[in-house]
Order: sequence, then C-alpha cells, then structure tokens
Amino acid sequence: MAVYRRSTRQRFTLVLLVLLSVTILTLDYRGQGSGIIGVLKDGAHDAFAPVQSAAEAVVRPIGDVFNGIFRYDDLEAENARLRQQLEEAEGATLEARDAQRQLRALLDLNGLTSVGDIASVSARVVSASPSNFEQALVLDRGTDDGVAAGMPVVAGAGLVGRVIDVSRTRSTVLLLTDPSFRVGVRFLDDDVAVATGEGPGTPLTVDLVEPSTPVKKGDLVFTSGLQQSVFPPGIPVGKVRRARATPGALRQEVTVDPVVDIGRLRFVKVLQWSPGAAVAGPREAAP
Amino acid sequence: MTPRVKVPAAVLLALLLQQALLTDVRVAGVAPDAMLLVAVAAGVAAGAEAGAIVGFVAGLTLDLFLQTPFGLSSLVFSVVGYGVGSVAAVFVRASWWIPVATAVLAGMAGEVAFALAGAMVGEGHLVSPRLVTIALVVGVANGVLAVPAVRLMRWALEGGGVRVHAR
Repeated sequence: MAVYRRSTRQRFTLVLLVLLSVTILTLDYRGQGSGIIGVLKDGAHDAFAPVQSAAEAVVRPIGDVFNGIFRYDDLEAENARLRQQLEEAEGATLEARDAQRQLRALLDLNGLTSVGDIASVSARVVSASPSNFEQALVLDRGTDDGVAAGMPVVAGAGLVGRVIDVSRTRSTVLLLTDPSFRVGVRFLDDDVAVATGEGPGTPLTVDLVEPSTPVKKGDLVFTSGLQQSVFPPGIPVGKVRRARATPGALRQEVTVDPVVDIGRLRFVKVLQWSPGAAVAGPREAAP
Repeated sequence: MTPRVKVPAAVLLALLLQQALLTDVRVAGVAPDAMLLVAVAAGVAAGAEAGAIVGFVAGLTLDLFLQTPFGLSSLVFSVVGYGVGSVAAVFVRASWWIPVATAVLAGMAGEVAFALAGAMVGEGHLVSPRLVTIALVVGVANGVLAVPAVRLMRWALEGGGVRVHAR
C-alpha cells in the first residue's frame, strides 16, 4: 500500500510539473519573449554575468589545455595557412587604400554612407550558448553601452550575426550559421538571393539564385541591404564554395563559406544601425 | 543544510560549469549538457520524484539563458528525470556500470526529446541530421561525468525526508 501511495504521488508530481511547464510555454509564446519572462531573463543575464566572468578566469586554462591537446594539428595547419594569407593580403593593402579613397570621395559626392561610417560598439565574446541547438554568442555589452536588439554584428572580415536579446550588461548574438538565420545577399553582378545558416562548420545555402546569374567558386557575397532588410548593404558574408546549375532547374545550387571564422571569435563590433524594423529573433521571418 | 538549499546550489554549480567551461570543451562542435546531467543524476540518486523536480528546476534555470521557448527545457528535463528515476529504482543496485549506462542512454534520449518537443512548439529547425551527433556526444559525455554527478546529487538530496538510494 505504501508503495502504491508513493508511485501515485510520483506520478502526480510529474503531471503537475508537466502542466506547469506547458503553462510557462504558453505564457512565453503569448508574450513573444517580452513581459515578465523577458524581465526574468534579462535579470538572470545581468545577475549571472559577474559570477561567470570570475569563474571563467579560473577555468579557462582547462579549456585551453583541452583544445591544445586535441586540436594541436588543426591549429598548426591553420597557422601556416594564415601566414600565407597575411603575405597575400599585405600585397593587396596598398591597392585597397587607393580604392577606398576613391570610394569615399564618390560616396561623399552623392551623399551616401558606407558600412565603415556606421557607429559601432566593440564587444568581447563572453561565452557561447549553453545549448547545442543554438548557434549564438554572449557579448559583454548591453543596453548600458548602446546595444539594442536587431543590431548587426560584424568582425574584422565580415558578418557575424544579429543581436536578438539584450539586457543591461549582456547581449546575445544569433550567428549566421544558425539554421534559423537568414540574410539577403547579393553577388558581384548585383543579383540578389537569400542565404540561410545550416549549422556549425557547414556552409550557408543560398536560395533563389537564377540559373543565369554568373556565380563561380571563390566569389564574394555581400549583404544586399534591400528595403526592409535588417542589415545594411555591403557587409561581406562569405565566399562561394560551390555553384551548380542543373540543366532544366529553376535555381542554381549555391553554398557559401562564411568569411568570419566563427569558432575563434574573441572580439566583435555591434553596428548601431537599425532600419526601424521590429526586434528580430529566432521565430521571426526572413529579412 | 537541507535539500532546499543544496539542490539549487548544485544546479547553479552545474550552470556555472556549463557556461564557463563545458561550452569550450567540444567534440564535433557539440558540448556536454551539464543541466540535463543534473536531472539524470538526481533520478539515479533519489528516484523518480526527485528526478522530476530537479529536472524541472534545472531546465527552467537553463531556459533563462536560451532563445528557445521558455519552459521547453523544464518540460523535457522533468520527464527525463522521472523516467531515469523510475528505471534506476529497479536496476541501480545491480552493478556499478548500470548508472553510467543509464546516464548515457538518458543523455541521448533527452537531447532527442528536446528537439522533438521543440519541433512541436514551432522550432522545427531543432530536428536536423546534426541531432544524431548531438545525442551521441552528449550521451557519452554524460557517461563520463555520471559518477561525480550522481555523488553531487546524492549529497544535495540527502536529508529533509528525501530517500536517497544506497551506494
């Protein structure tokens, strides 16, 4: 009899917790991430931030040892590759400076702005998302520093993602490799398409590419910045890895490698730019 | 200290380890899931009811830091903790490796259940071929960390009228 009462009580507890979870899910869905749940999340981020920073200072060497042991060969190969790239880049720098000077003169003449003119907030990457189902980073800047939800995030080479949640001292960035991330892109000949994240270490897929669009491996793609886009135009997104046009198909199959090495990000810039659109998050539609 | 103090402390410790250390310790791009492990360990240590309650608390705490629907982790972790506790009550004393194997299987099942539950509430992108890799890595990581996790939750749940399984 005691066993029966205990098992009944256990089942009752489970049912109660399940119903409570479903109620919370419903409240969150109706509130669209704002309201009391949004306040709780923001408070948790701000309250946990100093504790996490202190803990990281202690345990980061452990993570570095792990990476050093299991990724030494990868790091060595990447070092050699980056040295070669640096040499090539130094040669192109002088050409780029002159081209930039001409571009700025042209933009000023026509009253236009470039990505380089947008005010930005530098931020340090604090941690990745604790979930394996999200491709997101947490930055050490928040509303107190002028960061707002929806702002684009870039690193030295190009697009990193978009701010989707922000508290006073922390902000969460949805990476362009997340399966829910979409960005309007354009190719060198100004044809436009939509790039979608496919997960970590996987190239982005680019949809809506016409068969007539001239695309080849190595081509750069940039943010298109079309009307209602949440990204300004001209931010490098990636390089074409593969472009295949099947005879008779309505679209080309194009994949793009991000120009930014997402796995090694330490510092980023949050562009203080907004097209006036609503807060963009994982549940909302493509730009 | 009563379990009412020790359990939240254990959950916060797991969250701290997850955020500060485990997110950087990745195999095939997948990190261990300390919060799911806490729910599994509670079920192994103290049975179904404890597993469900700790799973709910750990899941809700984790949901504060995720962009997935708030309440999704608490729903999944409470069910996984309950299931593990129900099974562990029968087998846990049979052999030392049973709790480890339970943690491996529960870790895999928990990740799959999270993706499926997420798909049911509109997060269809959670179900992808990568789910297999996530389930395998988390399952193995749970197995590796099972022994210290079960000891931690046994300590956290002792006292206050909670029946903890003998070692």
